[in-house]
Amino acid sequence: MVDKTKNGKASKTGKKKDSMQQSLAKPEVSDLIGERLRNFYDDVAKQPVPDRFLDLLSKLQAASSSEKKT
Amino acid sequence: MGISNQFRDDLLAAIPSLRAFGLSLTARGDRADDLVQETLMKAWKYHESFAAGTNMKAWLYTILRNEFYTQLRKRKREVEDADGIYSSKVAVNAEQESHLDMADFTIALAKLPEDQREAIVLVGASGFSYEEAAEICGCAVGTIKSRVNRARNRLAELLQINPLVNSSAAPEQLIQRRS
Repeated sequence: MVDKTKNGKASKTGKKKDSMQQSLAKPEVSDLIGERLRNFYDDVAKQPVPDRFLDLLSKLQAASSSEKKT
Repeated sequence: MGISNQFRDDLLAAIPSLRAFGLSLTARGDRADDLVQETLMKAWKYHESFAAGTNMKAWLYTILRNEFYTQLRKRKREVEDADGIYSSKVAVNAEQESHLDMADFTIALAKLPEDQREAIVLVGASGFSYEEAAEICGCAVGTIKSRVNRARNRLAELLQINPLVNSSAAPEQLIQRRS
């Protein structure tokens, strides 16, 4: 857990500004967080589908087509 | 009626983003993939309850999310340390240029409460609208909005990228740079 008051006690107006900050992140801060969030997410989403899932889908499909053959 | 190839293809296409969502929720690659596996099996089993023409991605995310909370309740007794989890198990790509940044971010994300984490991920990364995210999480749109806001503020604080939180460290530099 990060306690920002430990690093930031030099600021006179820190308290007031902090409480303002709680209510809404500045647009540029939101942008930066959004970008990092998407990087994190896309890094995984870009990866090829692991074989275990391809195997699983094949098995499911094989099972249901043998079950449901008319 | 059998399960169509289209359904299979749609599932296959959804796997990459389901894995990303799973990792966002669990913070662990192995658990994320277990969730995805469970999700695929459930989707297959209950494919008839999926109304064709509706949002399949949202349906799958809902299944994965429900599975996550089911497992979370089972594991509730285990106390886990977010930093420890990431140092050993995180599935981030080592070739990623900003690898260090990424690790910081994933640790910060894991420190958010689950409800905030899922809200910001669904809206900020998975490409869902606030309305869709609300439906997936089974809550009001306003609730999602406020969770996303709290998540942003908390992440800014944890990552110390909030200019006001950081300002006490370097006000002189900021001024000097401008002159």
